Amino acid sequence: MAHDWQPDFEQLVDEHQSMVFSLALRMTGDRGLAEEIAQDVFLELDRHLGRIESAQHACFWLRRVAMSRSADALRRRKVRRMDQWVEFDEAQSIPAEERHSPLGARLEQLLAALPEPQRAALVLRYQEDLTPEEIADALEAPLATVKSHLQRGLKLLRARAATDLKEYVRGV
Amino acid sequence: MEFEPAEEMEEFEQELRHAFRRQPAPPGLKTRIMALAAVLAGAALWRQREEQRKGEAARQQVLTALRITSHALNQMNRQLAAHDRASQE
Repeated sequence: MAHDWQPDFEQLVDEHQSMVFSLALRMTGDRGLAEEIAQDVFLELDRHLGRIESAQHACFWLRRVAMSRSADALRRRKVRRMDQWVEFDEAQSIPAEERHSPLGARLEQLLAALPEPQRAALVLRYQEDLTPEEIADALEAPLATVKSHLQRGLKLLRARAATDLKEYVRGV
Repeated sequence: MEFEPAEEMEEFEQELRHAFRRQPAPPGLKTRIMALAAVLAGAALWRQREEQRKGEAARQQVLTALRITSHALNQMNRQLAAHDRASQE
């Protein structure tokens, strides 16, 4: 179908590099690998630019491919045990000037310890502020599965945060 | 199942939104992406030109072969015509 939108590759890189890099970083916990993934995702976008129909489509496409490439990278790396857990080392992963509060840093670590499907759903929910329907589209997963991952992931994260961070969580 | 007060959960979700905000891309990432894209575009253009060059060379070979064939047929035609004329005389 014909479309009027003219994609500008450089502008798309400018606008979305932080999103793509952050998704890959939170999924892999490895800054170097996240950078490689971001590079590959944008080069793939360059090859598929003719099929991108709008700015929204570009954003959706980048999110989907970033998540899928991150999952591929994790599978290739076959990290610890049966689950694709990642070791999120804040000191190594994030430059000093960009580091979070102690609570934020701990939440990043707790997120990294979640199973991959739950982590993916939570990253899209809280980093990208997507609805469960949008997450299902981005991950190409059934809505019920996504809702279940969100619920379980959030519960697990909350329970671990409550244990670890009593000083930050009221009522515990 | 434990009851989770909605207010507390909302507060926790806000904390997550804050903790999981986007990280700035590393300096130089965009430059590297643009440079790699330019190299790949250059390679693709070279491949395309190489294909065109090979295609053109093949076309010239076919034309040469056709010219040789045409020349040979003309020669044969002339010989046949001369033979016909000789037999009529």
